[in-house]
Amino acid sequence: MSAIGGDPLARWRDGDLSEVVAQASIIVCTGAGGVGKTTLAATLALGAAARGRKTVVLTIDPARRLAQSLGLTAMTEEASPVPGVEGLDAMMLDMKRTFDALVDRHAPEPERAERIKSNRFYQQLTSSLAGTQEYMAMEKLYELHERGDYDCIVIDTPPTRSALDFLDAPKRLTDFLEGRFLRLFLGTGMRASKQVGRAVGWGSGIFMRAASRITGAGVLEDLGEFFQSFEGMYEGFKARASEVYRLLASPGSAFVVVASPEPPALREARYFLHRLEQDGMPTAGLVVNRLTPPPPPSLAALTTQQAREAAASLADGDDDDRAVAALLRLHADRAELTVRERRAVAAALQGTTPRRVVEVPRLRPEVHDVEALREVGTHVHGTADADAAAEV
Amino acid sequence: MTLPTMLDHRLLVVTGKGGVGKSTTAAALALAGARTGRRTALVEVEGRQTFPSLFDTPAWDFEEREVRPGLFGVSIDAEDSLQEYLELFYGAKRLSRFVVGSTAVEFATTAAPGIKDVLLIGKVKEMERRRDADGRFTYDLIVLDAPPTGRIVGFLSAPEATVELVNMGPIRQQARSVVDMITDQARTLAVPVTVLEDLPVTETLEGAAALRELGVALGPVVVNRVLPTRLDAAAQARLQDGLTPQAIARRATDAGAPLEAQGAEALLAQAEAEAARVALQVELRERLRADLDAPLLELPEHYAESFGPAEISALAGTIEELVR
Repeated sequence: MSAIGGDPLARWRDGDLSEVVAQASIIVCTGAGGVGKTTLAATLALGAAARGRKTVVLTIDPARRLAQSLGLTAMTEEASPVPGVEGLDAMMLDMKRTFDALVDRHAPEPERAERIKSNRFYQQLTSSLAGTQEYMAMEKLYELHERGDYDCIVIDTPPTRSALDFLDAPKRLTDFLEGRFLRLFLGTGMRASKQVGRAVGWGSGIFMRAASRITGAGVLEDLGEFFQSFEGMYEGFKARASEVYRLLASPGSAFVVVASPEPPALREARYFLHRLEQDGMPTAGLVVNRLTPPPPPSLAALTTQQAREAAASLADGDDDDRAVAALLRLHADRAELTVRERRAVAAALQGTTPRRVVEVPRLRPEVHDVEALREVGTHVHGTADADAAAEV
Repeated sequence: MTLPTMLDHRLLVVTGKGGVGKSTTAAALALAGARTGRRTALVEVEGRQTFPSLFDTPAWDFEEREVRPGLFGVSIDAEDSLQEYLELFYGAKRLSRFVVGSTAVEFATTAAPGIKDVLLIGKVKEMERRRDADGRFTYDLIVLDAPPTGRIVGFLSAPEATVELVNMGPIRQQARSVVDMITDQARTLAVPVTVLEDLPVTETLEGAAALRELGVALGPVVVNRVLPTRLDAAAQARLQDGLTPQAIARRATDAGAPLEAQGAEALLAQAEAEAARVALQVELRERLRADLDAPLLELPEHYAESFGPAEISALAGTIEELVR
């Protein structure tokens, strides 16, 4: 590595995640979209299962081919065994069904649950409200944990900008549904509204009229009915939310932040690491996926500049010269990419304290079957029966 | 729809799966627009602040600032858009302050489904329709760094959904006019960005179909990070059959790159891995061509130790060549 300018990541390396897959009872993978989060979740799950632990991987939106490899052919709420892997189940999160189940559980009577589920805002809300998907993932996680069928539960979080908002998603959702302000002018808490209205110098009527002008009539009434129908359920929601939070913060849980070596993904990872630390969540480390593999030791003495200059002087030669020139140029390009990627990772880590950084080289071919997942596993948790066949 | 006419549209909606270079592409397209004489706006809607480092500027906000000659950058959010909208339509300064400073924004932007998206696209529409004192459009071209493929259909269909949900009032009219802009094939083009990897290509094909379903015109698909062709056929043939590691090491060393046979073997292994990636790219490019009735705009993989203003400028240059 010396030939390409040192190794800025050396001080962060501290083993792999084998301890995590051997011990954690809950593993949460988080990171920006497109970084290979689901792949990593599946890889960690394989690692846990390989250690004889009964494991389930809960994914949000797996790519089709990966889903097929995991035996997730139909959209089912139930866990199904992963073909060819002893002790590993996989399941997909069905947002709507999970939300429905939540409403069913907390509604004081079945009629109320039905009324909520038939409201025209309900469907929209279950998919569009920020944090809902995160909340449902955590809800499902808690349900699985409570059932106690598994030694290890691995989950990947939704690929949203605010993927870590699931930490306060339960709070946000309950705050929102409780809708103090909403209820001020939607009529459920009219007494309170008058007091607050006086206090801020505004009657709720003015706001109501203004809001109606914006949305049109009828919409607010429907919305009001929707919030009214949730009346009395907030306590249940909240209690559950704090239990989920406690579970995630317990030492049996492990958060794994995933990134690709691109600055946008790394910025997200940096935010996640900060956020987890702030919230006192147990962080296992950062996994940087799809790094360009560094040049092997046999090329360590060849500098990028030497390679480029030699390539330039060979570029107009015979067939053999041009072939050698291309080899040298490819080497120089890859070496520079390696430097850029590792610098970007090191820059993102400034001022953060990940427990460790685990590097996963770009693999060939693309990862979408169990065999390939095992290959990734050799880098992430050191378990595999296949050779480490990373791209050179 | 051909490559040369793409910058003649008024609004380019740039989308793509996470990690494919969507924002980078949006920046390069906007810069190419400005450098070909169009007054251009580059609009960010998710508050990611990707552009300041690409243009080496302070953080972007709701104010449109000239970041390059003829190129204006702006980062819009739902709250500012709502405030501006209220002021514009109701002269409601007092009310809007109250609204923006309270949980009421939560109501307007999250409770009523999709209103946040309507506000954002509404702001883009305002920029698109805006005229200077002399009657000319303020912007010739607006490049929107839109939400990723997974969310783009929801984002662009929010106005239509609002029209259906909200039965009257100015929001409905606002949403209606936004729908008109998005589905006007002469004004608006969706520009999906992808890399030649399995998942992004699959998602791009699905996204393209969904966008067409919405009635949005599909522009060129930007294929990012295309690996270069490094070898002519004759040299390639020598590599596959003939050149020994010893011969490679000797020629490289003679040319000033000290190399042992073992190192030459490592170079060959790198080339083989690269060839496998290139083969996969060829296969996926064919799949895009076969399943997608849209031209491809290919941008090369960029090998450099850093990625910033100079690299964006180079990419914009490549685009200018391609759309000429």
